[in-house]
Amino acid sequence: MILAVLFANSVGNVLIERFNGVPAEERLHWRSFLVKLGAENLKGVKNEELLVACHKSVYIVYTMLGDVSIFLVGKDEYDELALAETMFIITAAVKDVCGKPPTERVFLDKYGRICLCLDEIVWNGLLENTDKDRIKRLIRMSFLDSLFYQIFNYLLLLLFDQTRINFL
Amino acid sequence: MAQPLVKKDDDHDDELDYSPFMGIEKGAVLQEARVFNDPQVDPRRCSQVITKLLYLLNQGESFTKVEATEVFFSVTKLFQSKDTGLRRMVYLIIKELSPSSDEVIIVTSSLMKDMNSKIDMYRANAIRVLCRIIDGSLLTQIERYLKQAIVDKNPVVSSAALVSGLHLLKSNPEIVKRWSNEVQEGIQSRSSLVQFHALALLQQIRQNDRLAVSKLVVSLTRGSVRSPLAQCLLIRYTSQVIRDMSNHGQSGERPFYEFLESCLRHKAEMVILEAARAITELDGVTSRELTPAITVLQLFLSSPRPVLRFAAVRTLNKVAMTHPMAVTNCNIDMESLISDQNRSIATLAITTLLKTGNESSVERLMKQITNFMSDIADEFKIVVVEAIRSLCVKFPLKYRSLMTFLSNILREEGGFEYKRAIVDSIVTIIRDIPDAKESGLLHLCEFIEDCEFTYLSAQILHFLGIEGPNTSDPSKYIRYIYNRVHLENATVRAAAVCTLAKFGFMVESLKPRIIVLLKRCIYDSDDEVRDRATLFLSVLGGDGTVDADKDSKDFLFGSLEVPLVNMETSLKNYEPSEEAFDINSVPKEVKSQPLAEKKAQGKKPTGLGAPQAAPASGIDGYEKLLSSIPEFAAFGKLFKSSSPVELTEAETEYAVNVVKHIFDSHVVFQYNCTNTIPEQLLERVNVIVDASEAEEFSEAASKALNSLPYDSSGQAFVAFEKPAGVPAVGKFSNTLTFVVKEVDPNTGEAEDDGVEDEYQLEDLEVVSADYMVKVVVSNFRNAWESMDEENEHVDEYGLGQRESLGEAVKAVIDLLGMQPCEGTETIPSNARSHTCLLSGVYIGNVKVLVRAQFGMDSSKDIAMKLTARADDLSVAEAIHEIVGSG
Repeated sequence: MILAVLFANSVGNVLIERFNGVPAEERLHWRSFLVKLGAENLKGVKNEELLVACHKSVYIVYTMLGDVSIFLVGKDEYDELALAETMFIITAAVKDVCGKPPTERVFLDKYGRICLCLDEIVWNGLLENTDKDRIKRLIRMSFLDSLFYQIFNYLLLLLFDQTRINFL
Repeated sequence: MAQPLVKKDDDHDDELDYSPFMGIEKGAVLQEARVFNDPQVDPRRCSQVITKLLYLLNQGESFTKVEATEVFFSVTKLFQSKDTGLRRMVYLIIKELSPSSDEVIIVTSSLMKDMNSKIDMYRANAIRVLCRIIDGSLLTQIERYLKQAIVDKNPVVSSAALVSGLHLLKSNPEIVKRWSNEVQEGIQSRSSLVQFHALALLQQIRQNDRLAVSKLVVSLTRGSVRSPLAQCLLIRYTSQVIRDMSNHGQSGERPFYEFLESCLRHKAEMVILEAARAITELDGVTSRELTPAITVLQLFLSSPRPVLRFAAVRTLNKVAMTHPMAVTNCNIDMESLISDQNRSIATLAITTLLKTGNESSVERLMKQITNFMSDIADEFKIVVVEAIRSLCVKFPLKYRSLMTFLSNILREEGGFEYKRAIVDSIVTIIRDIPDAKESGLLHLCEFIEDCEFTYLSAQILHFLGIEGPNTSDPSKYIRYIYNRVHLENATVRAAAVCTLAKFGFMVESLKPRIIVLLKRCIYDSDDEVRDRATLFLSVLGGDGTVDADKDSKDFLFGSLEVPLVNMETSLKNYEPSEEAFDINSVPKEVKSQPLAEKKAQGKKPTGLGAPQAAPASGIDGYEKLLSSIPEFAAFGKLFKSSSPVELTEAETEYAVNVVKHIFDSHVVFQYNCTNTIPEQLLERVNVIVDASEAEEFSEAASKALNSLPYDSSGQAFVAFEKPAGVPAVGKFSNTLTFVVKEVDPNTGEAEDDGVEDEYQLEDLEVVSADYMVKVVVSNFRNAWESMDEENEHVDEYGLGQRESLGEAVKAVIDLLGMQPCEGTETIPSNARSHTCLLSGVYIGNVKVLVRAQFGMDSSKDIAMKLTARADDLSVAEAIHEIVGSG
């Protein structure tokens, strides 16, 4: 089970958090633990370099992406290796949405899409989608649809114009 | 509650300052959500509002019931819009709002329509949302669509249905189990992701059917798995099958080992590590099997990726607990990890080295750790301190350097938990290694001179009171103790007064001087300190009134005899009255958790929180269970309960295992029965035991199980009487008898008439090892020397030809049922001789230690010299009888 996915900004404020199967009273403890872990270890770390820790019986994989730090907490089958895989997908998807490793502002600008990405990747503590391109397709439906729609309209117009010209 | 976003510095330019959620307020967003009700839906605007709602929820903001309902109903109106992007957001917000069961009804029809939409994204997401919000009755209505979705040609839809199945399995297992044909088809899918989810779900569905899981593993290990994730799952399931097979006594070549070994050459690092981990965790893994896995792990130790280094060192750390010799080849690589930037890796490397290091490398290791300790967090330091404690117990001769290290780190800065770990370690070392006592106590004395933790000061003072008076020069500790009376808070002062009194009582030469010191304490500002001083003066006879020498020892050194928890509860419940508090009214029994509760907890996935406390020993639960049955209540104290022995094959209709409970003059067999046939209800379940091959046993009582419905477990018991205190052995054949009643699958009701039937179970043996309880001894040498040489019995045995020395050692350990000490159950590969140290408590509560020396000649003939020492010579002789007859 992926117990937590947490995004925080450079000063440790939480941007997105998803807990699965964690009692509400333990969340605060974990939130502050993760933020502290990030503050202690993420300074000067290269983009997307994965750091790993274990605390009690759970594993934590965390990294820095632009101005945003990302933490994954898992237990049992979601050990450090499975979490690293999940992190790889999350960072790729976020970069895709933001076009580059995001600043805090870009991240907040694309907040809705990032939530959708996360929803595609981790659902209720289980890893679901791992294909970056498929995730991209799934969350950009509106854009693609409108693109197809525009192209379709343009072709119709061309056809109509051609018919009119021929008619004339 | 998450913290709000901080405001940036004013000198940043406006562009950077801007945040789309700056100044966001719940009330305002809820107002904005009214836009959902507009007759002309503006998709862009609505998406923005939903994003804001998501942001609020992600920040830990919660909506009241009314607010959530209002938003939910407004959101449902957005199903009118054809905009796909907005629809995607709607799905997400519905999941986040988690509507209650009475509200769900409003969206189910829209979602069911979307489930059959031509747009793949709609289908996939509608499935996910529905599965999140519906209950069992609605699930049966949409089951057909879900089955279709599993075999959908679009992998996204298929994955969504499969992952939903994984979630639904927890709440509606019966329904999801019906999907196995479709899931099986999913395993053959060309999409690697679908295959991964299908494999996970199919294993979950069939987890109770060992044969089916075994078949699944056999079919997949032939190489049809595509994604590395699925391959990792397969490795895990394979390990499970291997474990099940070994539990059921299948012998010969280890099955699937070749598959695991081949995975070590997989192209994905994740798979390689998983396979290496699986190999190291095999039961009774041999060094030959371990070698390729260790080689692979060693390579990962120098990987540039921290995750791989961590995974490798974590696995090696576990291996080091059981096979320290196998890991020694990696020591050089692990030493370089001590300076790893990732402190988790460094700590794991250190603790592994502490386990694998030999006596000669301790000093060098300590030097390296000293440099490392200053820059790691307390939680890592605690792990290191605990590892050093066990190292000290393992190599008692090295106590000096280890004690010096501990005393040095005790002086450095650190939190309470860390300091407590160090103090506990020093206390353990003092208790286990008599030579370390004096220097250890002095280190503790120096620590309390400048200790900021009241709890630790009081604990150390208490310990000083017990150990200090027995040292060569007790007077040197008095200064440290009396300083506490002047410099510390009332709690520590009171503890110091107690300790002084103990010194005064135990050391006659110090008594007059202690009385002088105690007299100074009777003017203390605190009541408790004054009271204690007055009391102890009276006990020591300092005030010339009482000299209760007989009782004072009990008073000062005697234990409370009741558990502190019970004492605390009784005192809290005591209401001040004429009647004095009676300590005899405090219950002496430590309350243990009922079995059922433990089981439930074990199944529930717990959160992140504190790791579950080690489960209370099973014997507590068994004792309670047996004492609650009137027939067995008079059997006295339970000596030992064996681990369950399976009496049926894995895939049979009725699963039965037995637990042997040993009492002084009785043996009780507890038959744990499980009914695995859905259409049957079993009643009057009993076990008929034939004890014709167990002459010393005669049946005393039995207790049948009244009813055993499908998928439930229950216990039947049979008790035998045997000569008191005698380790009688014998073989018992068992037949399960019961009345079968057919159950109507639709109504779930059983027919009135049943048919009597019986089922032959495997035979069961009571062996000598059943009369031995495994007991850990931290320092075998001390324990050995403290036993009387008179009660020693030595003999030599020829064990015949064996494949390896390890096989002979294991056979002797299993025969005696004793606890191997100090890792001596592990034998270096190719060793020609070995000494194994064993400890246990024999029936009648007689402590027994065994030193078994093995030697192997060139023709693989093994000889053993066995020396047994016990509190009672007859028990030492009994050990030899067991070996002689085995």
